[in-house]
Amino acid sequence: MAIIEVVNVDKIYNDSEVKVTALSNINLKVEKGEFTAIVGPSGSGKTTLLNLIGGLDSPTNGKIRVGDVWLNELKGSKLIDFRLRNIGFVFQSYNLIPVLTAGENVELIMQLQGVPAKLRKQVSADMLGKVGLADRFASRPAKLSGGQQQRVAVARALASKPQFILADEPTANLDGKSAENLLQIMEHLNRTEGVTFIFSTHDQRVVNRARRVILLEDGKVKSDILQ
Amino acid sequence: MVVAVALGLWGGVTAMALINGWVKQRIADSIQNEISHIQIHNPEFLLNEEVDKTFSFDSVAATLNSTPGIVGFSGRLKVFAMAQTDRANSGLVVLGVKPSSERSVSGIPNKLIMGSFLEGDFTTPSIVLGKKAAEELKLVSYQLTDSIAQKFSIVEPKLVEQIQPLVGKRYRSRSSFMNDLRAELEPKLFNHYSESIADSCISFRLNGPVVLTFQTPAGELHSAMFRVRGIYRTSNTAFDARMAYVNFDNLATAASINPNHVHEVAILCKGNTDAVNVAKTLSATHQNLKVRSWDEISPEIALYAAFGDFMGMIYVVIILFALAFGIINTMMMSVLERYREFGMLMAIGMNRLRVFSMIMMESVFLTLTGGVVGIAFSTVFIKIFARTGIDFSMWAEGFEAIGYSSVVYPEITISNYVLITMLVVATGILASLWPARRALKLNPMQALRVE
Repeated sequence: MAIIEVVNVDKIYNDSEVKVTALSNINLKVEKGEFTAIVGPSGSGKTTLLNLIGGLDSPTNGKIRVGDVWLNELKGSKLIDFRLRNIGFVFQSYNLIPVLTAGENVELIMQLQGVPAKLRKQVSADMLGKVGLADRFASRPAKLSGGQQQRVAVARALASKPQFILADEPTANLDGKSAENLLQIMEHLNRTEGVTFIFSTHDQRVVNRARRVILLEDGKVKSDILQ
Repeated sequence: MVVAVALGLWGGVTAMALINGWVKQRIADSIQNEISHIQIHNPEFLLNEEVDKTFSFDSVAATLNSTPGIVGFSGRLKVFAMAQTDRANSGLVVLGVKPSSERSVSGIPNKLIMGSFLEGDFTTPSIVLGKKAAEELKLVSYQLTDSIAQKFSIVEPKLVEQIQPLVGKRYRSRSSFMNDLRAELEPKLFNHYSESIADSCISFRLNGPVVLTFQTPAGELHSAMFRVRGIYRTSNTAFDARMAYVNFDNLATAASINPNHVHEVAILCKGNTDAVNVAKTLSATHQNLKVRSWDEISPEIALYAAFGDFMGMIYVVIILFALAFGIINTMMMSVLERYREFGMLMAIGMNRLRVFSMIMMESVFLTLTGGVVGIAFSTVFIKIFARTGIDFSMWAEGFEAIGYSSVVYPEITISNYVLITMLVVATGILASLWPARRALKLNPMQALRVE
């Protein structure tokens, strides 16, 4: 069974006087272990789709299943708790907490999950090791490069042991070398540990590495290609 | 925010300590210099304070000697007199006292700025006046000496040259001294230094004659001459203007009052609370006399304590109000600056209650840190100034006109500390509610887009 199923999803924003249809009749299935890129021009609905799959927003019509749970059946704190235990997030601008060390940033999500302190520390060190930052456990974000910060963000997402990781433009703020390095790590995690990654991206390097590319245009799936 | 809380707490504690210090000092001064702890009178004397309403001193002295809790007592005669000098006259309340007894109940003998307190054997009876009364009776003169002029050379060297023509001259009135001073000094220097020069040059005419006119028990007016042997000064100008002290026997003779009788017995006890109990005991023993404790004699003094607490709380509330705005502003800025951080935390799975608790905990922690710093700072401040006092002598005239000393010794109790600390922490918590609520309302999706 696919770990993500998007069924007849529309997303229409009514905030202003003009209705904006961000997504229209989206139907998708994502299997476990996929390395999928959602691409498309600005305003095509990539981030909106990621927000809907991540439970940060709800569709106007249609429904989304993650694992065996339909997200529209979850409300309030149940949805937040579901996100905490099932979905990993990597944001474009890293969003690490500046006053915490790399290790503490990774531990934070496990702290929210109620993982005991000793285990948290151990897992945190493991995760930083997996992204090649074992020696930066005690460094604060300001002391890390952009690429390193994004790798800490990946370690943080991994630490919650999610069903999949949603990465919104993860390489947009990185230079070529850092982006390449990050992609190698994510690809390695995908191949060796079966971590499912779904990216929204403009970056051709991400597209080149993705094994499935979903092209969105004007809120509709234009193509869905396995590479 | 830590600094704001620390300063707020320091301000609140200091304001309360200053008010406590002033109030306690006012009460202590009143009891020590003016009213004592207990007064005993013939009940009829209290109606119109008529000179013939006396009572036998011996009838109470034996009881007072054997009553525990009494530090000292003094029998007094009290007449209302018109005082005249060659240049002015003024109404006075004249107390006839025995110097040794009076020293055991009153601080006035220790408040002399000149002369002695009715000691010494003189042909003409002695009178001790307050500084203000002496000024009103024009028993002062102004004389600039070389040593006074030299003192001012430290602050303004050219002043000495300009005031040199006045050295050695003696003036009977402040206005004539000031006129000459104005003629010699540059206007700027005159405006700046004239008052302090005049105050330094003041000297009282010791041994100057004062004629007191008062009523005798027979209803006749009698005049007697006294000579000024001492000038006292308290922190209460109004008291200094009206109370004069003469020797008991001199007044008894002059007013034809039985020397074994008194108008008033003033009693000093070990403490303010003891006094109330002693007064009750004495009242039961001497039912024909009116025994009043300090809070009955001067209810306004008793009210000072309650009023002081009330005023202190008003200051504290004003400071807390300002502090609350500071905290709201700081915490709101903190929330807005970390909007994306909160958005990320909510996106990855931190629930709203936890975000709210986090902001509140942060505020409480900062408030407590500021509180500890503020308490430490104010404790040191109060400890230092409780010993040295804070000198407000620039405004001494104003303070003393309403009976307060211009030097205040701040004082604070543990309960004041506890109360203020609790109020500051409560303010910190309450003031954080709004920013925390603001954070609760954020939409993680929008917050993550904030640049």
